[in-house]
Amino acid sequence: MPFKKLTLKLSRYLLIGMLVVLAGFPVYWMATTALSLNSELYGSGQVIWPQLQNFPQLWHELGQVPIGLWLFNTLLIAAGGTVLSLTLGSLAGYALSRFRFHGKGLVGFLLFMTQVVPEALILVPLYAMFITSGLLNSLTGLVLANVGFSLPVACFVLKGAMDAVPYEIEESAIIDNCPRFSVLTMIILPLIMPSIAAAAVVAFFAGWNEFLFASTFLMDRENWPASVGLASFVGQYETPMSAVMGAALVFSIPAIVFFLLIQRKIVAGLTAGAVKG
Amino acid sequence: MTGSKIRSGMTRLVPYAFILPPMIYLMVFMFWPLARQMYMSLTNTRIINPNRGRFIGLGNYERLFDDPAFYLSLKATLVYAVLAVVFGVSLGVISALAIDRPFKGRAVVRAILLFGWAVPNVAASLIWLWMYNDRSGVFNRITEFLGLGRFPWLTSTELALGSILAVTVWQVAPFVMLVVLAALQSVPHEVREAARIDGADGLSTFRAVTLPHIRPAIQLASLLVCVWSIRRFDIIYLLTGGGPVGTTSTLVVKIRQIAFEGHELGMASAYGAVGLVLALAIAALHYVVEQRRMKWMSR
Amino acid sequence: MPALTFNNVSKTFGDNAVIKAFNADIHDGEFLVLLGPSGCGKSTLLRMIAGLSDITSGELLFDGDVANDWEPKQRGVAFVFQTYALYPHMTVRENIAFPLVMDAFRKWYHLPIVNIIARHRLMKRPDIAERTLKIARQLELEPLLDRRPVSLSGGQRQRVALARALVRNPSLYLLDEPLSNLDAKLRTQMRSEISALHHKVGKTFVYVTHDQVEAMTMASRIIIMDKGVVQQVDTPDSVYDNPANTFVAKFIGSPPMNLIPASVRADGLKLSGEISVDHGATLPGRREVTFGIRPEKLELKAEGEGRLPARVAVVERLGAETVIGCRLMTAKGQAEELLIEQDLVFVRVSGNPKMQIGETCSLDYRAEDVLWFDIDNGQRLS
Repeated sequence: MPFKKLTLKLSRYLLIGMLVVLAGFPVYWMATTALSLNSELYGSGQVIWPQLQNFPQLWHELGQVPIGLWLFNTLLIAAGGTVLSLTLGSLAGYALSRFRFHGKGLVGFLLFMTQVVPEALILVPLYAMFITSGLLNSLTGLVLANVGFSLPVACFVLKGAMDAVPYEIEESAIIDNCPRFSVLTMIILPLIMPSIAAAAVVAFFAGWNEFLFASTFLMDRENWPASVGLASFVGQYETPMSAVMGAALVFSIPAIVFFLLIQRKIVAGLTAGAVKG
Repeated sequence: MTGSKIRSGMTRLVPYAFILPPMIYLMVFMFWPLARQMYMSLTNTRIINPNRGRFIGLGNYERLFDDPAFYLSLKATLVYAVLAVVFGVSLGVISALAIDRPFKGRAVVRAILLFGWAVPNVAASLIWLWMYNDRSGVFNRITEFLGLGRFPWLTSTELALGSILAVTVWQVAPFVMLVVLAALQSVPHEVREAARIDGADGLSTFRAVTLPHIRPAIQLASLLVCVWSIRRFDIIYLLTGGGPVGTTSTLVVKIRQIAFEGHELGMASAYGAVGLVLALAIAALHYVVEQRRMKWMSR
Repeated sequence: MPALTFNNVSKTFGDNAVIKAFNADIHDGEFLVLLGPSGCGKSTLLRMIAGLSDITSGELLFDGDVANDWEPKQRGVAFVFQTYALYPHMTVRENIAFPLVMDAFRKWYHLPIVNIIARHRLMKRPDIAERTLKIARQLELEPLLDRRPVSLSGGQRQRVALARALVRNPSLYLLDEPLSNLDAKLRTQMRSEISALHHKVGKTFVYVTHDQVEAMTMASRIIIMDKGVVQQVDTPDSVYDNPANTFVAKFIGSPPMNLIPASVRADGLKLSGEISVDHGATLPGRREVTFGIRPEKLELKAEGEGRLPARVAVVERLGAETVIGCRLMTAKGQAEELLIEQDLVFVRVSGNPKMQIGETCSLDYRAEDVLWFDIDNGQRLS
């Protein structure tokens, strides 16, 4: 009996080990590549373990890639998208949570639709629209395009949290001469701070990673976020791969950190959004 | 829960004051473009002059359905989506089952298993691109070492889609794992222990007790993965650009190609229309499945 | 100082008639209690007065003006919720001051960042700060001013809710079962505090409860409701002595009034179909009636001395008095269980008589203490 248990346990650990390798190897390889010399990478053969002694070199090479500017743009895009998504999302979430009104079902359906529509589908019309309104090549335009997709997620997450706030507290505020809008801003929102944080991170994460719209709408290199900047290295033969990998790591680490922080909420938000229909 | 307040007069407008700003926003930046795109597919707009297309009815669609490239693209999309679901969900479920029971270092393992989903698409593309690199990529170095020679991972018509699938599965499995884990952890322990006391071994416990509990989660995850695969652009475009010979040009990739490289917005919109129909079909499927699930839940 | 008038007021929720049409008046300055079992519509009615729920038809008048469409703030009411509904993220001080701050807000203060600054500064304004402190002192909340509701006991939270209602000096106080979440001892204490408050403040109080003891002790008048229908609107004494129907008769008083089905025949009164009683006064003109008498109006006598033979079934000794539940016996000496709705006839006896369960005894009454009710609809027969 113990033998059988032992083999079961061992095989389980083996499985876990394999999964860890499969999942973690690419990131490990990113780090290793970043810390390699270009001569090794293209010539003699890449070294398998990370060579930490190459770190100063990496640092120097990173300076040649405008990663700072790119990250700054990424930050602007992500932050702008987050603020706008949360603002509009809290309005919509409150309406869906507290009111009955004509067309409420339609609204729910439309919000759900945004999670199904591929971004590329509205790429072209948005492009045309931005040309005529002069929003092409601007970060503002990009933020406006992104929010369309993260607004509904924020709405669902916030609505779920608002549903849990007892209605009597609002009635009390209304009796105290507090108008509806202020009930939202002064009473409800402070009470659902954790969910606001989660929704914010989801929206931020989406804006951080976004590539399609950014690469289509932004012409000037100065406006490029990190996603577009890094992608510009694809297909070039003379890529300073270690620098690129280093930049990619710098780009990835905040995302990984954000992500690990709120993994549960993301799942809840996405599945709730999908289930709501 | 609302107070029964569908009042007359000004107060009736209050809900609309809240819901209109977001809705107007979505109309402008999501649904109007969508509608416009449907219309554009019926014109011959070119990118040089996006507002001056002539209505040509179903001309684009006629060309579309005659074009073998379209069918190739459709096939690529469907194959990609289905396989992404099959492999992604399988791997995700396996991962969830593997780390369900507590063990030392589980938090770290779980964090590492999430890397696939956490790493931004572009960064993932870059590293996988490097790993698939013909001369210097680690995969080919391994296969060379094993005497199998080098493989044209991204440039072979047979291998390209599979290579992209590998990346996708790497990205998607963590999500499935999280969803399934959440469902697994809602299985009451007593039920599982009771089964074990009753002498059921691992496999039958799994089938009888665990599986029914996580089936809705698996279904939901599958649906989401399917939808995402249809939408996915970044990885495919960056890894293969839609080649070789269009074997990895899913509908989404085609839209970008035709619009910006072929300069024909009208035709691109037609592709997009097909994509929309597909997406709507998925949504409808999801709705039906949800209804079934609701009925199952209230059994 | 509104006097409220209900003109044919009713409320329906879809197909469901939650409150059936009724007329009533609430006098200025009185303590009116809405009494009834759960689900009778009393809370809904209170919310209609407050403006939190719609009135489906009929008119609600505040001092003669039709107020159906008035916003809550126009009505000048304060509302104390059953669950207190305190703002969890604000301190006690901020909770109490909130109505004052809201009243002082100008339109543009409601903008997102501005409102935080405005609230902060208004809290420090002398008149608001002083009034908050004054009210807090009156309700002995001063040491708690900087705590959050979550750290307070039930009784303390209730007082904060009261303070928040008081602070605006409203003309109408609405209280929705404010004591039901407190333990018995605290409840008794708070009851007298609220009554004292009413006296001090002198404004109209409308108070909802399901506890008839609260209603009887606190109310100047009571509106009793059951299943959305107003049963009676009267003073506590009248409701006790002159119930309009069997529901009121049973709901008020503890133990409840004894209701016994009876038949009136040519040869006299028959209780429970079998027990002949020499009533000794005029009987009502119907053939079938309900015979009602309060427990304290029954007299417990030894076997054979009273007109109603009975056997003791239950004895509840309460110290100063004892409640004895009996079963009436037929002439044949059987203890019949033919009484509608309640098997037992209760009688209140002062002191601590030596009665044992199973003992036979007899009960007697005075004819003028009997209340007659229609056996079908429960309405009082005059």
